[in-house]
Order: sequence, then C-alpha cells, then structure tokens
Amino acid sequence: MYDAPNLAESKVTQDNIKIAARKVQVYYDDNHAIKDVDVDILDNTVTAFIGPSGCGKSTFLRCINRMNDTIDICRVEGDILLDGQDIYDKRVDPVQLRAKVGMVFQKPNPFPKSIYDNVAYGPRIHGLARTKADLDEIVEKSLRRAALWNEAKDRLDQPGTGLSGGQQQRLCIARAVATAPEVLLMDEPCSALDPIATAQVEELIDELRQDYSVVIVTHSMQQAARVSQKTAFFHLGNLVEYGDTGTIFTNPEDERTESYITGRIG
Amino acid sequence: MTTAAFLCLLVLSIVGYVWNRQAASAIRNGGARLHSLTGFHGFYSLLMIFVPVVVLILLWLVLEGPVIDLVLKSGLSDRLDGLSTGETQLIVAEIKSIAGGSIFGTPEQWKLDAAERYNTLNVRSGQLLLVAVLAMSLALLFFSRRKVAAEFRARHGVERIVSGLMIFCSVVAVFVTIGIIASLMFETFRFFEKVSVAEFLFGTNWEPQIPLREDQVAAEGAFGWLPVMLGTLVITVVALLLAVPIGLMSAIYLNEFAPRRVRSIAKPFLEILAGVPTVVYGFFAILVVAPAIRSFGQGIGLDVSPNTALAAGSVMGIMLIPFISSFADDALSAVPQSLRDGALGLGATRAEMMTNVLFPAAIPGIVGGVLLAVSRAIGETMIVVMAAGLIARMTINPLDSVTTVTVQIVTLLIGDTSFDNPKTLAAFALGMMLFIVTLVINIFALRIVRKYREAYD
Repeated sequence: MYDAPNLAESKVTQDNIKIAARKVQVYYDDNHAIKDVDVDILDNTVTAFIGPSGCGKSTFLRCINRMNDTIDICRVEGDILLDGQDIYDKRVDPVQLRAKVGMVFQKPNPFPKSIYDNVAYGPRIHGLARTKADLDEIVEKSLRRAALWNEAKDRLDQPGTGLSGGQQQRLCIARAVATAPEVLLMDEPCSALDPIATAQVEELIDELRQDYSVVIVTHSMQQAARVSQKTAFFHLGNLVEYGDTGTIFTNPEDERTESYITGRIG
Repeated sequence: MTTAAFLCLLVLSIVGYVWNRQAASAIRNGGARLHSLTGFHGFYSLLMIFVPVVVLILLWLVLEGPVIDLVLKSGLSDRLDGLSTGETQLIVAEIKSIAGGSIFGTPEQWKLDAAERYNTLNVRSGQLLLVAVLAMSLALLFFSRRKVAAEFRARHGVERIVSGLMIFCSVVAVFVTIGIIASLMFETFRFFEKVSVAEFLFGTNWEPQIPLREDQVAAEGAFGWLPVMLGTLVITVVALLLAVPIGLMSAIYLNEFAPRRVRSIAKPFLEILAGVPTVVYGFFAILVVAPAIRSFGQGIGLDVSPNTALAAGSVMGIMLIPFISSFADDALSAVPQSLRDGALGLGATRAEMMTNVLFPAAIPGIVGGVLLAVSRAIGETMIVVMAAGLIARMTINPLDSVTTVTVQIVTLLIGDTSFDNPKTLAAFALGMMLFIVTLVINIFALRIVRKYREAYD
C-alpha cells in the first residue's frame, strides 16, 4: 500500500505505524515553512513536537488533519499516509479525515452552546448516534474520558463558555474524543492553563494513549518529557531529530537538539 | 468688529501658549522637575484664554440684538406709548431698514434720528465687544502665566477643561434630541385638541383634504392613521423580504466562501450601492421597476396599479442590501477564528460550521442590523415619495398602490399650509408616531445586541 522500502529503514514495526510522512514541504506563498520532513508516528503512543517558536511544529501538526487547507496561501507537498493511505489524495474528503484525526487547540474554544451540545456536536454532524439515548451515552463517555463528567454532569445544559479555563480545555478534549477519532492532535493544549489544570490534562493525555495515537505540540520540555514516548525536535522548518523521548533528552545526537534542550537556542 | 475680536482672541491664545511654554521650559532648564510637560503648560494657557472668551463672544452676539432693541425703544418711549406690539415691531423694523440704507418714501425726521442712533449703538457695541475681549483675554493671559510653576499641575487643568468640552458636546446631542421631541409633542398635542386620540389611533380612514379657507369646497376630512401605517408596513415588509436574504447570503458568501479576489471586487460594489442617493433609487423605481412590474403583471393577467407597493418596496430593499450585508459581515468577522477552527477540526463542513457555529454566534449582530434596517425602511422618504401612491387604502396587497407615513407628512406640509388647522398638524402627529415606532424598534435592537454581545468570549 505505501512505500515499503522507505519504511524498512525505520526501526519500528510496520503494523504499529499510524502516520507516515515523507518529504513533506509546506509553503506559505514563497515562504518555505517546512522542509523535507520525514516522520513515522506510532499508534498508542504520545509523540511530542518540540522546538523554538516559528520552527514549523504547529504547521506540520495542522498538515496531519489538513487544517492548512483553510489557509488560502498555504501549499503542502510530499506524502502523508494515514494507515497507509495518502491523506492528500484527491479522493480523500478532508471533512472525513478530520473526523478521524481530531484536534485540540492552544486556546480553549468551546462553542457558545451548552456543555452537552458542545460534546454532541461532532457525533451529530457525523451521524454517530441513532437515538437520543445513544447520544447521551456518547456524551457521558466522552466527558468521563476527559475527566470532566463529575464536574459537569449537573450542568450539562449550561453554556460551555461558563466553565473555567482548564475545564474548557477538557471540554474541548471531550468534544474531540466524542467523534471517536483514531489520532488526536494537540496544539499546545496547556499553554493557556494553570499548573493544576495542566497536570489534569497531562494525566488525561497519558490515558488517551490507550486508544489513540496522540501528537502534542508543546513549548514546555518538561511537559514533553513527562507525557511523551517519542519526541521530534523541529528547528527552522527542519525535523532535526526524532527518537525515543528518553534518548532525545538525555543523549541527543544532533548538536542543535542539545543546544535547545539545554536552553542555549530558543 | 466681531472678526477683529476673534482675531485678537486667536493671537492672544497663541501668545499665551508660547509664553507659558517658554516659562515652563525656563523652569525646567533651571533644574527643577516639572509636574507637567511644557506643552501642557502651553495648552493650559491657550484653553484658559480661548474657551471663556469664545463663550463671552457668543453670548454677546446672542444678547446684542435684543439689548440694542430695548435701548432703541426706551429712547422712543414717547412715540411708542400706547401702540400695540405689532405696530411697535413694524416701526422698529422700519427704523432698522432705514439704518441699513434702504429708505422707502420720505420717513419722518424722528425715524431718521432713531436710525442714526441705532447705527451708533451697533458700532458702540462692536467696540465694546472688542475692548471686553481684549481685557478678558489679557487678564486670563496674565492669570495663567502666573500659574506656571514646577509643581503646578497643568496637565490636570488641561484634562479638566477638555473633559468639560467633551461633556458639553455630548450634552448638545441630548438637548437637540429633547428639543426635537418637545417640538413634535407640542404640535401633536395641538392636533389632538382638534381631532380625538381615538379617531387618530383607531380610525381606518385617511382623508386629510379639508378646506383651508371658508370658501374652499372639500371633504370633511378623516384622520385615521391605520391605513397610512399599514402602507408603510407593507412596503417595509416587501423591502425586508428582498433585502434580508440577499444581504445575509452575500455577507456569508463574501465572509466565508469567496476567494480573496472576488471579495476585493464585490465588496466595493456593495459599498457603492450604499452610497447611491435615495433620490436616484427613486428614479430607478418609477422609471424601471414600476413599469416592469406593471407590464409583467398585465402579461399574466393581473391588475397592477402604476404605483405599486411592490415597486417602491423592492427598490427600498435594494437600498437596504448593503446595510444588512455590512452588518452581517461585521458580525461574522467578529466571531473568533478559534471557533471556526474548532468546528472544522471536528470534521464539520463549511456549511455545517456556518449554520451551527458561526451563525448562532453572530446572530445578535445580524438581528441588530436587520432591526436597524427596519427602522430605516420605515423612515425612508424619498423613494416612497417618488414611487408610492398618495391615496391611503386599507390593503396588504403589494400590487396595489399604497401610501406611507413619510409620504403623507411630505404632502401635508407642502404648499398652502397654515399652522392652526388639523391638516397641517396631522403631519406632526404622524411624525410623532413614526418617531415612537422607530424608537421602540431601536431600543429593541440595542437590547438584543447588548444581551448577546459577549456570548462567545
């Protein structure tokens, strides 16, 4: 199905790979934002993208569910395979892709609707629930997954915007989980949260790994070290180094990675 | 003389600015630390001179005329004793016109003397004004110069004066509004002395053609506003049925779906539409739309009157399109990008994102815009004067000819009018009702906008 010789070079077993990116280039008009990125993202693994601001890690993350399509001037080249299928193929509907590859954003962005409707939004537009009882079940399950059920169960009909920042972000995670995605992309999900809410979300990320492949962009190297099994370091649009989190943080191969994690460039 | 006074004031204000500024710089150069920047010391002096003296000049100009008249009349008390106010006014007017140089016939000597005295009084007043302005400006100039000191809070002084000016400006708007309402109310009450409130509010007949003079032959007159208001409503509904869908759809397309190039072309065109004078829309209605509707209606065997509510309403709708679309565009643009991303990131199509997320978030702004468009449609005059009919009918058929409140106000006040008969006063009553209706709609619109404004923050 996909380019076997390429993958043979990587040290992971084939059935474990969820997303395979090959020679990905991203341009904003003439600005070459992502250069020649090759990466294999594993299933049931938390992969962290780290790197200084403007290095392209969020841009690359947004390539994985084709969110960059919404930006007129953005152009993506190269192949990104999800379960062996090219997501930039003309036959792939980005709308269906995004149902499979969920996304949580930097700033909590609950819709100005009730908590229930926020979570039920995805299942409704994708027709995942046949009856009201089904939908209730999905909402409850998703809120439980996002560790928000106990706080929210008595106020499901109240607006999601009335929750605190950390609760809003967990609501957004519940909303993403409710569409039953296979991959969950998180773009600095904790940058707007206080330390306690951050700890809750991090714990949640670790649990989500049971069912999903999680990709998280973060500015906090401690966070990357805490939650991820794999880490990719981006610098100036290049993927400099990719490997086990432990190795990257203790024994990086590339000089630039070492400078970054020791705080010399950033 | 007034010009000279203004020039004096201007020069002295600028002198005050420069002088105080220099004085403040001198203190600063002497090593002291100023509380306010030197510019504020300058502006303090400028405002301290300019504002009070301008008030003085304006008051002078307002009071000058009446005071001189009084002096003139008291000088002529022996001649004017026992005359009625009308005769007195006539004599004063004659004296003034003699003073102005236009002499008719051969006036009596005492009138010529009075005219001369009137001229001298005027010149005196001008000289006095100049002296007063000079004296006051100089006094204020020295007063503010003496204030300059390191610890003098010139900035606070300037801020206080400027905020006073701003309060004055906003109060002007309030008072003008109150004045307009008061004048409307006054005439409306006079109307209701002649025609009963019940007849006006609940009457279904509008025939204001009553005789103005004893010898005119005309109908008795009927003042029920309902058919007139109904006409306004029919035209407004037609206008909105056209403007709301087109305006909203174009806003949604331009905001969300249009490529940048289309947007950059289409948006200016919509703005041009907003800039077309309503009288031009009126041409368009009578010369193009009304004949087209009539010939089309006749083609399919309908009886269409030449001045249809449909023609006036649809052209008014075209006028409202840019209004509604720019409001809706603003409301949609104000919805944060993060909400769009959130919906798209969940796998929503653009249409789903639009209908489920953006639209509900933008609805307060959109509703506010539509309601403001309603009050504009109700108050619109030129298009309906040109394109709608004059006869009030109780009908909701848009193919019939109807009249509107604004058209009636115009026709009632044009031509041979006198302000003591119900025909003319009815215009004020209609104006009052129009004012009330649009006010209620505006309050309603603001409520909605305010209530939901922060929904997505």
